[in-house]
Amino acid sequence: MTAAIPEDGNPVLDRYRTRLRPRQGALDEILTSDGVRAGSQDLASSIDLLGVTGLLTRREQARRFVEDDGVTYGGSPVVTRNRRWTVDPLPLVLDAEEWARLEPALAQRARLLDAVLTDLYGSRRLLREGVIPAEVVLGHPGFVRQADHIRVPGAHQLFMAATDLARHEDGTWHVIGDRTQAPSGAGYAMETRRIIARVLPGLHRDTPLARLRAFFHTMRQALQEMAPETAEAPRVVLLTPGAGSETAFDQSFLATLLGFPVVEAEDLTVRDGRVWLRTTGRLEPVDVVVRRVDAWFSDPLELRPDSQLGVPGLLEASRNGAVTVVNTIGAGVLENPALLPFLPAAARVLLDEELTLPSVPTWWCGDAASRAYSLEHLDQLVIKPIARDVGLTSRFGWELTRDQLDELRRRIEAAPWSWCTQERLEMSTAPVVTSLGLEPRRLVLRTFAVAQGAGYHVMAGGLARVGSKSDTYLVSNLSGALTKDVWVLSAADAAGTAASGDDVPAPSRQPVGHSRGTPMTGLSPRVAEDLFWLGRYAERAEGTARLLRVADDLTQDYANRPGSRGAVAMYAVLDAVNAVTTVRHLGDRPGDPPSTALRRRLRSLVTDAMLPGTVAFAGYRTVRAAQAVRDQLSLDTWVVLSRLERRLTEIPADDAPLQPILAQVLESLLALAGLSAESLVRDPAWYFLDAGRRVERAQQVVSVLLHTVATDQPEGVDGMIVESALLACESVITFRRRDAAGLVTSPVRTALELLLLDRANPRALAFQLERLADDLRHLPERASVDAALGSLSALMRETDLDLLCRGDRARLATFLAELHASLLSFARLLERESFVHPAPQRALGVVGW
Amino acid sequence: MIAARVEAGARRYEVTHRTEYRYEEEVTGSYGRAFLLPRDTDEQWCRSSRLAVSPEPSLIEESTDHFGNRSHYIEIQNRHQVLTVTSTSVLDIDRPVPDFAALNAWTVAGAAAALRADSDIDPVERASFLLPSPQVEEQTVLRHFAARAIDVDAHLGDALLGLVQTIYSEFAYASGVTTVTTTLGEVLRKRQGVCQDFAHLAVGVLRLVGLPARYVSGYLETQPPLGQPKLQGADASHAWASVMLPSGRWIDLDPTNNQPADSRYVVTAWGRDYTDVPPLKGVIFTEGRKSVLHVAVDVIRLDTDV
Repeated sequence: MTAAIPEDGNPVLDRYRTRLRPRQGALDEILTSDGVRAGSQDLASSIDLLGVTGLLTRREQARRFVEDDGVTYGGSPVVTRNRRWTVDPLPLVLDAEEWARLEPALAQRARLLDAVLTDLYGSRRLLREGVIPAEVVLGHPGFVRQADHIRVPGAHQLFMAATDLARHEDGTWHVIGDRTQAPSGAGYAMETRRIIARVLPGLHRDTPLARLRAFFHTMRQALQEMAPETAEAPRVVLLTPGAGSETAFDQSFLATLLGFPVVEAEDLTVRDGRVWLRTTGRLEPVDVVVRRVDAWFSDPLELRPDSQLGVPGLLEASRNGAVTVVNTIGAGVLENPALLPFLPAAARVLLDEELTLPSVPTWWCGDAASRAYSLEHLDQLVIKPIARDVGLTSRFGWELTRDQLDELRRRIEAAPWSWCTQERLEMSTAPVVTSLGLEPRRLVLRTFAVAQGAGYHVMAGGLARVGSKSDTYLVSNLSGALTKDVWVLSAADAAGTAASGDDVPAPSRQPVGHSRGTPMTGLSPRVAEDLFWLGRYAERAEGTARLLRVADDLTQDYANRPGSRGAVAMYAVLDAVNAVTTVRHLGDRPGDPPSTALRRRLRSLVTDAMLPGTVAFAGYRTVRAAQAVRDQLSLDTWVVLSRLERRLTEIPADDAPLQPILAQVLESLLALAGLSAESLVRDPAWYFLDAGRRVERAQQVVSVLLHTVATDQPEGVDGMIVESALLACESVITFRRRDAAGLVTSPVRTALELLLLDRANPRALAFQLERLADDLRHLPERASVDAALGSLSALMRETDLDLLCRGDRARLATFLAELHASLLSFARLLERESFVHPAPQRALGVVGW
Repeated sequence: MIAARVEAGARRYEVTHRTEYRYEEEVTGSYGRAFLLPRDTDEQWCRSSRLAVSPEPSLIEESTDHFGNRSHYIEIQNRHQVLTVTSTSVLDIDRPVPDFAALNAWTVAGAAAALRADSDIDPVERASFLLPSPQVEEQTVLRHFAARAIDVDAHLGDALLGLVQTIYSEFAYASGVTTVTTTLGEVLRKRQGVCQDFAHLAVGVLRLVGLPARYVSGYLETQPPLGQPKLQGADASHAWASVMLPSGRWIDLDPTNNQPADSRYVVTAWGRDYTDVPPLKGVIFTEGRKSVLHVAVDVIRLDTDV
């Protein structure tokens, strides 16, 4: 079905068409040889309307949304700058007719993989009857012998499968790979849809589009069905390798959609053969583990002994049916290209069906005839090891030199069973928005299937990825691929219901649908600690920014007026900055005028991300702590944090004024504080976050007072110092109001009153202590922490300001220094008591003979 | 060249294997996996066996592993600084002396071809023990050794005994030179090792010539008969190799002592190599870094008519 090209033409697509010409044979996902592909007409019209400029704007919007939603792919190299997910604004559109063919075929493939998995860890009929050569399976590292005969309840052994497809020249989709180890991308698919729905709002609204939500409902249901029978309301966790994992975003977004906590290995423990979540209060049983840690790392007792990412005893708990791990440990055995040639026969044996979805033609080199063919045609084939081991990736025979081919030939001959070859597939192309207009890139479609009833539910969409360069066959996230949303058009009769569905779930911590499951209530000590530090770093960044704002103001006014009272005050405040931030050495360049040196110094205190004590350092730590507890935070948080990060990343010019930067940083931090105050449910997560904020603010205010008000200053300067302290602690207006009302007899005393004892001042120490007491009441009881806080509060009540202000400042300085020390030891006690980490895990030296 | 020292005839043994770990610091949690209680075989019948653990474990569970071995999960939640795991088994063993002369009806290559073509042989078992395994990897250095240690055109019985003889004479038994993670390449370079290394070596060579071979973990009675030297591997667990013959039968060969296994050999478990069947391995949670290991094994022949 081809639509006629509009009379007036489509300049952007016409140009794109000329770029397609040289690619003989390959199909395109939007253009046919003489028109527009069925289903893509509306998209083509939109492209036409937008023009290159409009498309680039949409691309920029997509980039901004990715940033605002904090979507990352890849680890965090230096500070927190994760690699960003890259989204192309143009979706891949699959029309209803095509999907009606593809969807059952994908479901059938999932059923087949499930049956194969069940057989390989059961009777192994496929191997015994020679349907699949035994070496193909037994020589694959994904075959985990330790998991043999472990069965999970319910109709399926395979919880979820992802399938990578490429379109053949004849128009049909071919499978190029199966992902079953711990398939990633369902979360990215939903997030990409959220972004494109905002980037192309009109087109998204007007297109009768199949919705993604149902898939996540099914996923939740499947987890219930696969849970141990004893669990009435199964408790589910998602086990992650950590916030540094490449797909950490995908994991936490999926967990947020489903309403399950993300946990790391140290959050879990096996006791009496079952799995528990360690929380700050108690142990909570876990029934289902959604595994995103690779199988070999998931249990150091039976698998890799050096793994710190797994839980010792997890396999035993699975073996005795106390926990269900999905995908099952061992499901990675299906991620084997050498299985592809044998799947049609397996389908006949296990399902009594013909396999409808073709795989890319594949030859397993363990078979003599296939080996001979492969070696003869090596320069025209894709050469793959059967397992994706480190350093062994797919090679394209036609890109290799004669030497490289000979080397591969030798390796294949040495261990033929571990290699296979595949036909070169002229994958289809799809347009990608570039500054030079649309450019064709090869496309891989990843689909997702999750167990449902007796069969599988295929996500009505998926994730399309296109190569980073126009000539590459390599389409993988690691090689910098771009992502496209996948739009599956609803069949005409279902269009009404589909379009009325709410495509994008509310951006909140609300789980999809109404959970019958018991939510996990406790927080793991690791999560509690990250929340506590999120509060502390955010508060530290804010406090430091305020102090620097005061210092910068004084510098602007007095740096060039040495000898003035103001200059004396300025140096006193700068000393206070040094003491409070603990940043001391910022190499001054000799010969610089003092004002330049000062400005450079202040600038470093704002922007130097590598230096502990600076605003940037605390800001990045705030972002990092947030990333570690992503599933605990609202999605709006990322809009605020991305703005903060952006501000910190843009290095200002040498002579750029600091005040606007500080104002923007403060604005983001205040927005963050506002979100935490107004958008977070008061649960243990919030109380830890708040406790961190209070602990930090208490230390800040005492430290500022100690290094300003409690220092001896010449007559006439101390007034400026007091005002600086009040400014840095956001209390100057109240002070002035009291002063105007004639209530201030001694500025120092009033300042101390306002910042230490005034329980109504949210910046005062007394206020922080009261809030801390409230936070602790809502957290698991720790007698020693309560006692320490009690004695701090008593100290406050007994404080005699008149006595402290008498004579010189020595008595006050001693008092504040001791108070600061008490606050530090209180914070340490709180951390030690609340964030109990398990002792280090060690492999027991294996006993030989 | 049939070994003369082989002892046939049924007998009964009591095997006690005690493993003790003393830790530098308190251990808060301990997870163990043991392959310590013997499996039954065609030539061996386990009359009784038990596993004693101190301190009191919160859970001991027995399961059967992929290879049919008895395997135990041992979980301890009590704080402790000393762990002892003691296995005690009583077995009857009657392992006939293999007829190596009869095996000479095949050549090595002929036997490998027959095994490959035999549709009665379980392809899973055959492939499991023919493919490389974590500690028995295919390497050039192993190929060189194999080319010298076994002749594919030789008679099978002679070749098997010859292989065992070659390992025995070319490698020195030396404990402490190798560890449980030593690779075959290192053993071949050092020309030294212990029973585990020699078993891996034999297994590796046999797989290279197309004969499925497995690693056997067990014990050897070392009470020296009068006037004969005490055998190496005394009072410890032992390891040797087993090879699949045409028809799918297995025979056991001990390169450490240059002889086929007889009724003095007690089989505990078998796998592709050591990593499949370590007697005891574990994961502990502790601040300490050091532990002191003490192992004591007694293989006592019981005075009884079997």
